[in-house]
Amino acid sequence: MQDRIAALRRAVISEVEDRNRLIFHILRGGVVVSVAVLLFGFILVVLAGQSTIPDRSIPPRALEEELFRFTSAGYLSLGVLVLIFTPVLRVAFSLLSFLEERDRLYVLMTAIVFTNLVTSLFVLA
Amino acid sequence: MSPFEVLVLLAIAAFLAGFGGSYLGIGGGVFLIPFMTIVLGVGIKIAIATSLIGVIATSSGAAAVYVRDHLTNLRLAMFLEVATTFGAIAGALVGLRLPDFFLFIVFGVVLFYAAITMARIRETAKQRAYQAGDESSLSKRLNLGSVYFDQEDQGVYRYRVERPVAGFGASAAAGLFSGLLGVGGGFIKVPAMNILMRVPMKAAVATSNFMIGVTAAASAFIYYSQGLVDPGLAAMVIIGVFSGTNLGTRAMVKAKASNVRVAFAACLAALGVAMVLRLAFPGVPL
Repeated sequence: MQDRIAALRRAVISEVEDRNRLIFHILRGGVVVSVAVLLFGFILVVLAGQSTIPDRSIPPRALEEELFRFTSAGYLSLGVLVLIFTPVLRVAFSLLSFLEERDRLYVLMTAIVFTNLVTSLFVLA
Repeated sequence: MSPFEVLVLLAIAAFLAGFGGSYLGIGGGVFLIPFMTIVLGVGIKIAIATSLIGVIATSSGAAAVYVRDHLTNLRLAMFLEVATTFGAIAGALVGLRLPDFFLFIVFGVVLFYAAITMARIRETAKQRAYQAGDESSLSKRLNLGSVYFDQEDQGVYRYRVERPVAGFGASAAAGLFSGLLGVGGGFIKVPAMNILMRVPMKAAVATSNFMIGVTAAASAFIYYSQGLVDPGLAAMVIIGVFSGTNLGTRAMVKAKASNVRVAFAACLAALGVAMVLRLAFPGVPL
């Protein structure tokens, strides 16, 4: 049965396999990296002997300094930010893949989505 | 409740939200926000910010699997994302200026609307399959139709997408609520795709899951830069949700479409009742 399922799947959609694989790795990778950084942040909480977990996020501008000082707040914030930027990276990748297909309509739509995202990330915020 | 207990309870709730969210195509914010405000006593704006992070985690974790399994309609997702991202930006800007009480009312009304709509849907294999007749010219031009493989009955289904304009409008509304309320908006997107656009339930769930991360990311960073993200709470939510989506996606791929739909309607109805109870007893601290 498993073979049949696999064969059907291949028959239906073989050409887009590579692109879907890449999107899978981008999304999955983003979450896995985020979780890893967060766990590191929790380890820093324990190592520093803090009795409470930081409850204020570090503003993006101050983040670099916190990371060099290995503060738990810095790494917990970084983990959250990695996750927030995962869908942004995915949209950027979609833009490239529609460009490669020369699908003008979808290049335009993806560009609009990407512009909206960047606007909310850097202008409004 | 001690801070430690709060974190443990939140991680468990996030696990369930991740499981349910990936199974139903929603971000899980509809579970997480009431849980955080009612049970854990977190302020609604912090709860919204934390929930948005959870929505991104659910979306990324679940969508990865659904894209790999070819359940997601990538073109349809991109078309509707144009609407949701515009809506989300508007929602996040307005939401930060609105009183908390108003947010609760909007949230409750939306829940009820979606629950009633979902309960009325039916889906049979025949309905799922491609229907004869003319496709709308916009759908054709946008090349929205797609194919997916359903493990429920080992069938390959070719479907087309109807009423693209209505679906686009509903997605804009979903984006608005997402920014306003910190939910993925999946509880509008799934019915919109399934009822309005005639996308099969499982493809609608997968496509919604794919989209909600982008919508939430647009709002999440605005909340982050306002200092409303509590990194401890957010971290527990991300870790809990990630574990939940690993199980939820496996269940959804194998599930019967009708079961997914019934579960969807039941969840929303329960949440709607919870919201009404809250509004009926305003003495409860928000």
